Amino acid sequence: MNPPTSETGSQFITLLASLMLVLQVLLAVQPMLITNIRIFALQSLLLAAIAGVVGSAYHAGHVYVVAALTLVGKVLFLPWWLERLVRQIKIEQEIRPFVNMPASMLICGALTVLAYVVARPITSLERLGSNTVAVAIALLLTGFFLMINRRKAITQVLALLTMENGVMLAAIALTTYGMPLVVEIGIFFDVVIAVMVLGILVFRIRETFASMDVSKLNELKW
Amino acid sequence: MLLTLLALLPLLTGLICWPLRQRVVLERLNLLAVATVAGLAVWLGAEVLARGAVEAFGGFLRVDALSALVVCLTAFVALACAIYAVGYLREEERAGRINARLSHRYYVLTPIFVGTMMAVPLVNNLGLLWVAIESTTLASVLLVRFYNQKSSLEAAWKYIVIGSAGIALALFGTVLIYHSAVQVVGDHAENGFNWSVLVEVADRCQPAAMRLGFVMVLVGYGTKAGLAPMHSWKPDAYAEAPVPSAALLGAGFINCALYGIMRFYTVAAKCLGHDYTGNLLVLFGVASILVAVPFVLVQRNFRRLLAYSSIDHAGIMVASLGFGGKLGALGAVLHMLFHAIAKPLMFFCAGNVQQRYGSPCFRKVTGVIHTLPWTGGLFLMATFAVTGVPPFSLFQSELTALSAALAADRVLPAGLFVAGIVTIFAGFLIHISKLSLGEPVHDTAPGVECPWKLGAMLLVSAPLIGLGLVLPAPLYELVRRAALMIGGVQ
Repeated sequence: MNPPTSETGSQFITLLASLMLVLQVLLAVQPMLITNIRIFALQSLLLAAIAGVVGSAYHAGHVYVVAALTLVGKVLFLPWWLERLVRQIKIEQEIRPFVNMPASMLICGALTVLAYVVARPITSLERLGSNTVAVAIALLLTGFFLMINRRKAITQVLALLTMENGVMLAAIALTTYGMPLVVEIGIFFDVVIAVMVLGILVFRIRETFASMDVSKLNELKW
Repeated sequence: MLLTLLALLPLLTGLICWPLRQRVVLERLNLLAVATVAGLAVWLGAEVLARGAVEAFGGFLRVDALSALVVCLTAFVALACAIYAVGYLREEERAGRINARLSHRYYVLTPIFVGTMMAVPLVNNLGLLWVAIESTTLASVLLVRFYNQKSSLEAAWKYIVIGSAGIALALFGTVLIYHSAVQVVGDHAENGFNWSVLVEVADRCQPAAMRLGFVMVLVGYGTKAGLAPMHSWKPDAYAEAPVPSAALLGAGFINCALYGIMRFYTVAAKCLGHDYTGNLLVLFGVASILVAVPFVLVQRNFRRLLAYSSIDHAGIMVASLGFGGKLGALGAVLHMLFHAIAKPLMFFCAGNVQQRYGSPCFRKVTGVIHTLPWTGGLFLMATFAVTGVPPFSLFQSELTALSAALAADRVLPAGLFVAGIVTIFAGFLIHISKLSLGEPVHDTAPGVECPWKLGAMLLVSAPLIGLGLVLPAPLYELVRRAALMIGGVQ
């Protein structure tokens, strides 16, 4: 078992993690759908890079597998698949959230502060990357906010995926070696299948309601 | 081998059914698979009673008394639903509400759903527990969307989006709990994430991460179990899914989610002490019971009524667990057993009524006992059973939960608990007695009960009545051991 190997590695991870958070805020204010998908791909790429750094810092072979899975699944496959879906159903590009841009930004900032408060008792015990837990919790919380704030079905899927990114960041950064490989693989396949099932539903919603606005899904009440 | 078969057999059946088209073949394959699984589950229960815990693949799969109970209950519910589904789907097809393609979809997806549910109590690894629970959602979401209507699409969307958000929290919580244990079990321990290992070392885990992790897991799996305030997907999903799938969700899957909560509770209570964990559970449990009350009283749709009943029962189980001690755990596990036996009948009767009258609204349905005497009578009986009227067994488990609350001096939660349950009983009685005994609707001639559906209803009625009179010793032994394991750690 290695102690924290390199100061550089740790700083690098903190840097990449904060960039993930920056992208998340960007996601909250960026109105174009395709750009949103690409921002998500970039965020996943950062996640894969973090996994790579952790893998090399601890010489842990299976964290490389996690990095590779993230790269193939979340950086390449899912964004490609979502973009194809967007093109297929020919929806308008603009997202139109419920809360306007400056307010969204403020809320994201508040949620990040909250995340740091929540994470305080845990952060001191970390071994690599001093702020990653707080960032992970912030990703989770802002992911929730994104989900509530968006009307379009497909952007809710994106919000879910960024929450998943937050969880995976915590998994990689907190437990040093990540979780056991079989768990990581299981989670990976669940996420991919979940997005594909959601895609099918998005397609049907578009077909049935002639819109992707989930606020039109309001038939069922108590 | 036995453990592997339990999960793999239904999954394989689903895959085998995919290329098949003939309805009779699909029906028989499904029935055969669940009947075999039920047999295997009983065998597993006997093995666990004889040997303590059954393991496979070096502890990768592990079944103790609690998991064996969940396996048996899931198998029982799956068997009853499979028999009911034959009659239900045939009638839906006859009425033109679905076509052959849709019933094919049902027969492919349902065994897969059952297989993923079976996997939940079998896996030892807490990460894989998450994977299994998420898989059940994915396997069942297309069943919720079964009828191609706007409302079912909306229900499915809510089901998967709320469920996935909740379960992301549960995964975060799982990661945090793993983190709190990783210093103790070591980075490289292959089995460090196994429940059986974690519970041994729980008292040496790092409490800060455990505290946060437990809240997240409780909220996450609580979403799947339908605890308030994360319950909003439940009425939609239960009302829109075809009746046998709704019964599987409401009587089978709910146990899987609660099973997850019980496992994590055992670890967290050992690490943090009972006060923190117990208070959280009581808070969510009692809140769920109270949230269900007004919706039960003013409900106009009897399929949605069942969902609120299910929220109420999830609340009872979680609250009982939170009241603490062996008594509280005993109440929770007993309630899980009795609820799973009683609930399918409720769904089946509601399904019969809906098919006969073509509507799930109370307004359009009265005097069922005159047109469908069996259904009307059994519906009343199921109502008494589910709301916990003696001599039915749910009374016993609710009483146990209440004694646990009073033993722990939690007077206020105990008072709210009783008030909630009694009001829900009153609401149910008003609704269902009108539905069953009221003036018959004029233009409905007496109907014939379908033998498949009636068979399923009688199959669940027998143990329902039987358990009211006597609890067989082996079954009680299983429950007792499970309760000891959960409640004996403090």
